[in-house]
Amino acid sequence: MSLQEAVPAQTTGEGRTSALRRLTQRLAVTNTIALIILSLITLAVAALFIWIIIYLIVEGFTTLISPTFWGTTDAGIAPQLFNTFYILILTELILVPISLAGAIYLVEYSPQGRFIDVIHFAAETLSGVPSLVLGMFGFLVFAVYAHMGISRLAGALTLLCLNFPLALRLFEQALGSVPNDLREGALALGATRWRAIRTVVLPSATPVIITGVILTAGKIIGESAALIFTMGLFNPNNVFTLNPLIPSNTLTTWLYYLKGPGAGTTSLTSSQETAVAAGISAVLIILLLLINLSARAIGRFIQLRTTAA
Amino acid sequence: MQVTESTQQAQHSQRSRLSDRIMSIIFLICAVLLVVIILSVIFFIASQSWQVFFQGVTFIEYFFGSFWDPTGASGNPEFGAGGLILGSVITTICAMIIVVPFAIGTAVFFTEAAPNWVIRILQPLIEVFTGIPSVVIGFLGLVTIIPVVQKISAPITGNLPTGGYGWATATLVLVIMVLPTTLSISIDSLRAVPGSVREASLALGSTRWQMMWRAVIPACAASLGTAVVLGFTRAIGEALAVALVLGGAQIPAWPWTLAVFFRPNVNITQQIAANFQETSGTAQYAYWTLAFTLLVITLIFVSISRFMSSRSVYK
Repeated sequence: MSLQEAVPAQTTGEGRTSALRRLTQRLAVTNTIALIILSLITLAVAALFIWIIIYLIVEGFTTLISPTFWGTTDAGIAPQLFNTFYILILTELILVPISLAGAIYLVEYSPQGRFIDVIHFAAETLSGVPSLVLGMFGFLVFAVYAHMGISRLAGALTLLCLNFPLALRLFEQALGSVPNDLREGALALGATRWRAIRTVVLPSATPVIITGVILTAGKIIGESAALIFTMGLFNPNNVFTLNPLIPSNTLTTWLYYLKGPGAGTTSLTSSQETAVAAGISAVLIILLLLINLSARAIGRFIQLRTTAA
Repeated sequence: MQVTESTQQAQHSQRSRLSDRIMSIIFLICAVLLVVIILSVIFFIASQSWQVFFQGVTFIEYFFGSFWDPTGASGNPEFGAGGLILGSVITTICAMIIVVPFAIGTAVFFTEAAPNWVIRILQPLIEVFTGIPSVVIGFLGLVTIIPVVQKISAPITGNLPTGGYGWATATLVLVIMVLPTTLSISIDSLRAVPGSVREASLALGSTRWQMMWRAVIPACAASLGTAVVLGFTRAIGEALAVALVLGGAQIPAWPWTLAVFFRPNVNITQQIAANFQETSGTAQYAYWTLAFTLLVITLIFVSISRFMSSRSVYK
């Protein structure tokens, strides 16, 4: 409310001054109360986040230091760790070239307007599709129709569909961060667009592209719902191969199986299952923290470089 | 001599022009691939989803029936998905009722009033939590939230041994899953409001709270709305975290008391995650219809958020 509304214009002198003072006081009190409430809400959210991270790491710590946890039995996660990194690399190998190429087209070639809008709308829609539904789609199209079976390849292709919108956006930002002068300089020297991209744009966008790759890596490592139908929940006997056509589980799907549908069916006791699950959670959290830290470190490096230049 | 040089040059530039052409076509294909993927997701899931209605299941029976047993484990197959849909809707709405004040309150404090050290701590936390694996939060719900909820709800559920599983815990798990996303989008939209809006408000004599409440929040109301809608999208599609803590096979029979929130229950994603793969034929078609329902709901949400962000002034 404005001062005019609160203080009738007719009142003059003493009455008006004290009315104004009361109003200011009330506004100051409301302001203080509101700020206190807001800071308490923020404190609660921050405390929740910090508590979760500390709880998961502490809970998993006793498991992390036991050597059987890193072995190949049911109580160990060596196969799952291998599979997680295998699927991470396989997915990035497909995802990075394709989404980088798409981003190059959008940033460097495409004229502004309707076409870009269509692609962006498609990306927004695809990123809204629940990962479980994308998993069912991957099961139908890659595993059944394309005869890949429930396999790592089907899983990687499903993860491609899942992460394409995010990767496209990150790479678009990376390419957009390259100043236009560089492009124009190269084109003015007579380079074709592709040559300008290859020799000028991509090299100077590389650090930001790497940040993008790292951020998608975090999503791939943490993904589970898209994988349970496409990569399965079990491992074949020999999991340490590069064969992309075998089913396999990852850290996340194994955690889901241990505490969900498979609880009580493994060779572990219930408390062992919980301990392994806690260990896996701690490993995942630590991996995520590492990924985030390295993305930040690269970001800082870029900032230093651009401010130095 | 000069002639050969210029022909060489011409050949060279022709070759590089050709490679430019080829590369641009490859890039175009990759960009269009995205559109192909989303269209084929919609097409393939839709093509599977209507088949259940040709197997003697009526539309009304499917969407309003309350007994879900497509494989016929307890006698005849029954296709009442109403309970599952209700479960998803109720947990999503309850979660968002909690998320919205926390997300927007934190975002406002974060962008308008927080001291620098708070930002330095909170920013990386939000970034880590937007990508937190849902199974990890599901596990956290299993080992920490369920025992607490079970103890609190014991008088209501009559000391049910499986008490604590169900909608209440699922709601809390969803809150943890959705809060970071909603929060970070809210922060982005508040940051997009130019400083001149704040300065103008403060210069007119507003307190900070008046500035936030009367100037900044209205200025980005549409994009805050987008954040909330995207939160809904994530919440309704969230699968494994919720699947771990719901623990039910059927929606409890009517009539309900408050206890219904504290006993094993169902939603769409939990049933798909638990049973989809073991089914075939008509039973599997029933799950495809569930997936399509989920897809349609999220498409509607995405369209709403798109509409709202097209209405927002500052982007």
